[in-house]
Amino acid sequence: MTRGAILFAFNTEKFNYYEMAEYAAKRINHFLKLPVTIVTDEDSYPKDTEYVWDKVIKITPDKNNTRVWGTWINKGRWQAFEFTPYDETLLLDVDYIVNSSNLLKIFDFYDDFCCHNTIDFLMQPNAEQEKISHYGYNSLWATVVAFKKTNKVKNIFNCMKMVQNNYEFYMNLHSFNTGIYRNDYALTIALSIINGHLTDNRDFIPWNLLHIGNNTQIYKSNKNELDSEFTVTFDNWQRGKIRKEYITINDLDFHVMDKELYVGIIENEK
Amino acid sequence: MDIKNLLTESKARFNHNSAKAYLAEKFKSKLILAEHGGLWKADAETISLLNSFTSANLVIIDTFNNPVKVDRQQLLEKLQQIYETTMEQWYAEWQLLESKR
Repeated sequence: MTRGAILFAFNTEKFNYYEMAEYAAKRINHFLKLPVTIVTDEDSYPKDTEYVWDKVIKITPDKNNTRVWGTWINKGRWQAFEFTPYDETLLLDVDYIVNSSNLLKIFDFYDDFCCHNTIDFLMQPNAEQEKISHYGYNSLWATVVAFKKTNKVKNIFNCMKMVQNNYEFYMNLHSFNTGIYRNDYALTIALSIINGHLTDNRDFIPWNLLHIGNNTQIYKSNKNELDSEFTVTFDNWQRGKIRKEYITINDLDFHVMDKELYVGIIENEK
Repeated sequence: MDIKNLLTESKARFNHNSAKAYLAEKFKSKLILAEHGGLWKADAETISLLNSFTSANLVIIDTFNNPVKVDRQQLLEKLQQIYETTMEQWYAEWQLLESKR
C-alpha cells in the first residue's frame, strides 16, 4: 500500500506557484515523511531546481479562470485521481502549510475519501462556516483531500469534472455567483450528488481547517526552513484605530489564503 | 525584518484569548483516535462511560455516530493513555502562556 501527496502548481503572471509547491513539498517530506508528486506545466517547472520530486507530471492547464488579481489556474483538480501514483493520496493546496504530523491520522480512520467541512480562522474566533449560497449547502474545502483509488472516489472526481464543465448551470441551480470557478464548491456539489444528497460524516476530517484570514499576518519566528514555530499577528480595529495583537503557534497546520503572505514567508527564509 | 523588532515596532500585544483558542484547536485534534473500527475522542465523557461499565465488550457510539462494539478495557486504556499524554502537553503549553501575563 503506497502513500503520498500530490500538488497542483501552475505559475501565473503574479505568483510563482511552483515555488510555493516546493516549499509545501519539503514540509510534507519532513513532517509526514511522504513522497510528493507535482502536477505542473512546462512553463512553471524550473530547469535548475534541486528539489527531487517523487514524480513530475507536466500537463497543459486550463487557464480560463480569472480573479481580480489575474489568472487563477485551479481547474482540472479532478485529475488527481487519474494522476496519483499512490494507493492512498493526500491532495493538498500548495498554500496549505504542513506544520505537524496530524494529517497522518486521516489514514487511520477514513474509508476512502475525506475532506474538511468546518473551518476556523486563527485569531478570529467564532468564524461563520461558509455556505455556497444563503440557503445552500455548507461549503466543503478542497484544500486537504485524502482518497483511495476506489470506485466511489472515481465517481466523486468524475462528478467534480462534470460540475467544472457545467459550472454556470450549477451556479444558477445553487444560486451562487462567485464569477470564478472554485474547487471547494465543485467538491461540495460533487460529494453531495455522489452521496445521494445526504451527508455522511465519515467523509469529513474531524477537526477544523485553519485559515489565516483577513487582517491577519503570519511570519516564521526564525529562518530555519523546517522549524514549526510561526508568529501570527492580527490587526484588531477598535474605535477607528488598529491595535496589533499577536500569538505564536507551533505543531499546527494552516492554510494561508493571502498568497502575498505566503510569498513573504518563503522570501524571508532565503 | 526580525520578528522581535517587528512586534516591538508595531507595539503588538500578546493576545491571551487567541492563544488559548489556538491551544484548544491544536490539542482537540490530538485527542482523536481511530480504534476498533470507530473514531474516538479521548475526552472525559468517553473515558467515564467506558469506566462505568464492567462488561468485557460494550457497544458505544463513536464520533461518526455509528454504534461500535469494542473491547471495553482495551479502548479505555488507549484513550486514557492519549488523554494523559495530550493533556500533559496542553498543560505545559498553557503554563508557558500563563507566564506571559
